[in-house]
Amino acid sequence: MDAVVIAPLVIDGVERRFGRLAVLRDIHLRVDSGEVIGLLGANGSGKTTLLSICAGLLPASGGRCCFGARGEGELDVAGRRRLAFVAHSTQLYPRLDAEENLRLYASLRATTAAPDKVEFAALLRRVGLGDAGRRPVGAFSRGMQQRLAIARALLGTPDVLLLDEPFTALDHGGQKLLIEILLAERDRGAAILLSSHDLEAVAECSDRAVLLADGRIVATTARSGSTRDDYAARIRSLGAGAGREAEAAV
Amino acid sequence: MTGRARIPIASGLARREGLGFHSGGFAAAASPARSCYNRAVVPLLRQAWLLARNDLRQELRDLELVLTAAFFTVVVLVMFALAFAALPASAHVLAVPGMLWLGVAFAGALTLTRIFDREREADTLRALLTWPVDRVAIYFGKLLVSLSIVLGCGALLMPALALLFPAAQALVARPLESALLLLLGSLAYCAVGTLFAAGLATASGKNVLISVILYPLTSPALIFALVSTRALLEDHPQFPTYLGQLAAVDAVVVVLGAWLFEPVLLGGARKPAAGPSSRTRSRRGEAT
Amino acid sequence: MKRYIPVALFALAAFVTPYSVNRVFLHTGIERKMGTVQKIFYFHVPLAWIMMALAVTCGIAAMIQLRRQSRLAEATSIAAGELVLITGLGVLITGPIWGHATWGRAWTWDARQVSTGLLWLIFAAFVLLRRYGAGGSDRLAAALAIFGAIDVPIIYYAVKIWKTTHPTTDVVGSLPPQMWNALWPCLIALVAMSIGLLLVRIRQEQGAMALDDAWIAFDERGAGKRGEVGDA
Repeated sequence: MDAVVIAPLVIDGVERRFGRLAVLRDIHLRVDSGEVIGLLGANGSGKTTLLSICAGLLPASGGRCCFGARGEGELDVAGRRRLAFVAHSTQLYPRLDAEENLRLYASLRATTAAPDKVEFAALLRRVGLGDAGRRPVGAFSRGMQQRLAIARALLGTPDVLLLDEPFTALDHGGQKLLIEILLAERDRGAAILLSSHDLEAVAECSDRAVLLADGRIVATTARSGSTRDDYAARIRSLGAGAGREAEAAV
Repeated sequence: MTGRARIPIASGLARREGLGFHSGGFAAAASPARSCYNRAVVPLLRQAWLLARNDLRQELRDLELVLTAAFFTVVVLVMFALAFAALPASAHVLAVPGMLWLGVAFAGALTLTRIFDREREADTLRALLTWPVDRVAIYFGKLLVSLSIVLGCGALLMPALALLFPAAQALVARPLESALLLLLGSLAYCAVGTLFAAGLATASGKNVLISVILYPLTSPALIFALVSTRALLEDHPQFPTYLGQLAAVDAVVVVLGAWLFEPVLLGGARKPAAGPSSRTRSRRGEAT
Repeated sequence: MKRYIPVALFALAAFVTPYSVNRVFLHTGIERKMGTVQKIFYFHVPLAWIMMALAVTCGIAAMIQLRRQSRLAEATSIAAGELVLITGLGVLITGPIWGHATWGRAWTWDARQVSTGLLWLIFAAFVLLRRYGAGGSDRLAAALAIFGAIDVPIIYYAVKIWKTTHPTTDVVGSLPPQMWNALWPCLIALVAMSIGLLLVRIRQEQGAMALDDAWIAFDERGAGKRGEVGDA
């Protein structure tokens, strides 16, 4: 790689094993800025593990994840500044209200002693929680918590967005909203990697879809050039492939 | 809901670009040393304080940790009083330090387990680990919270022991020394405990192991604390020396805890020098 | 070549041990105050030294394991940790026997006894954690080993700090030459034995890791051409 633009997220031969179990084997994937990649695959195919490794939560057993032009393997504080991860669990403090949750994470992010006044209300409106800002998160439904987790991920205009099953627990309106947000972030130039079982949603928002089975990438399809229906049909067939792979693994 | 939330992308962008989070930090620094201090230490302390304040704010909402720890301390005190009331007065000087630090150790284990249980309930520790927060700040934040609760328990234990056992009068009569002793002893205990409670909370969830690990590991520090307490009660001239040794143990343990926190939670950074896949290849070679 | 080093060490131990027994019991005078029991000193002291050295080895290996994710270091820390448990048992058995002769009581709650016991407990926790902790606890166990190793100097200085009744640490330095002559063979035999065991256990642990690799490699081939595995 010379002076060419380096993708914000490069997964280079990542593997992960738990003892005798290989969860990921030799994964190569490149997410360019302004690109959404959907990770498909049956349960246990390694999607969450891959995202956790990208987010720096799990060390890879081999290979590495590189972030940004610096191409460094490790995620230091500066590296994490450019990354946001929406995990499968919402990871919010149930005793605090929505605004307090956001304020904590925003102030942890801020470099100056007095962080700028952040319009949390606007951010909450963006994810459809406009009137729930002062309610404790513990009283939120799972879907509302998911929206709040997404709002948190948007706090620092990340270059890389990782989302683990972001569509689960969201109602129809929430899914549409999330797709809109993802597309807006993509147009801004973010590199987005998300895992999902929701084939329709993936077809709607992704530029490429990757099928993981048994810890390796077994199929890839890209939107480029094809019509929307065509792409959706290919994603559906990938999804069917995921089912077949799962059966074959059994 | 959806319709209302639909705000124009451009305006949303402009708004969020203006947040100033990417302000570049500390552009103009007077000297390298000062800049290093500004760049590393100030944000670290600020983040640690923010995290601790966040935990304390949650705690104020329902007082769960404080009340359970306080109640537990009282229960332990009552048990001690029942068990040792018949001790001859001459033995009190020997027994009271043990009661004090056992009480601190018990209440501390309870508190540490609970603090990290709370993080695990909603998996919030992981969110902090992916956030641009120095991991050392997380350690110090948690250390501050657990330390303040354990100190609260100690503040309950000391006067109560002085009341129950006349030999322990010094715990109240010399409040400054007692407070210092309690602080130094609890700091060593919590510094070790925070590291391992955090590790257990993220690793496996087998919280039973915390007592297996914590008591043997903190016992050197607790023994130093015991010796110092006894010296305090006996008005031993070497009390300041013992306190100094306890402080030295504190320094070692806190530095070690802070240094190990990140590798324990996330695994160390692998040396990328060998290149991404050569390691894989050599391992394959080894295997065949 | 490498695999013969433990064998050589064991052979050395096998020759030196009878010689050291001979030396200790037949060619060294009986200590005036403590009598024959004092002879356990020749086994107790080397064992204690070896235990300390192994604890430090375990801690350093764990440090490297945490920093570099080195598998050799991980294997070393496992092996050394387990051997601390074994040599520690030796120390904790021989110590009270010697203590019984010296102080008239087997266990005096002397600081060095207590801290040796604590060190043993820490490494027992290490082995427990390695065995029963789930994923990620290997790193936690490594941290435990590091703390355990840091405890070693604290234990060493404990004697001076707490001013106890244990014979002071420079007792070994002021031994009569006759006693040194008997101590050396014992030390050599026990050190050879421990290093041999350490190497064997490290190799074994590395073998287990390589076996996991082979398993995965086989599995991977199978996944690549799934249909053929059954036929072959």
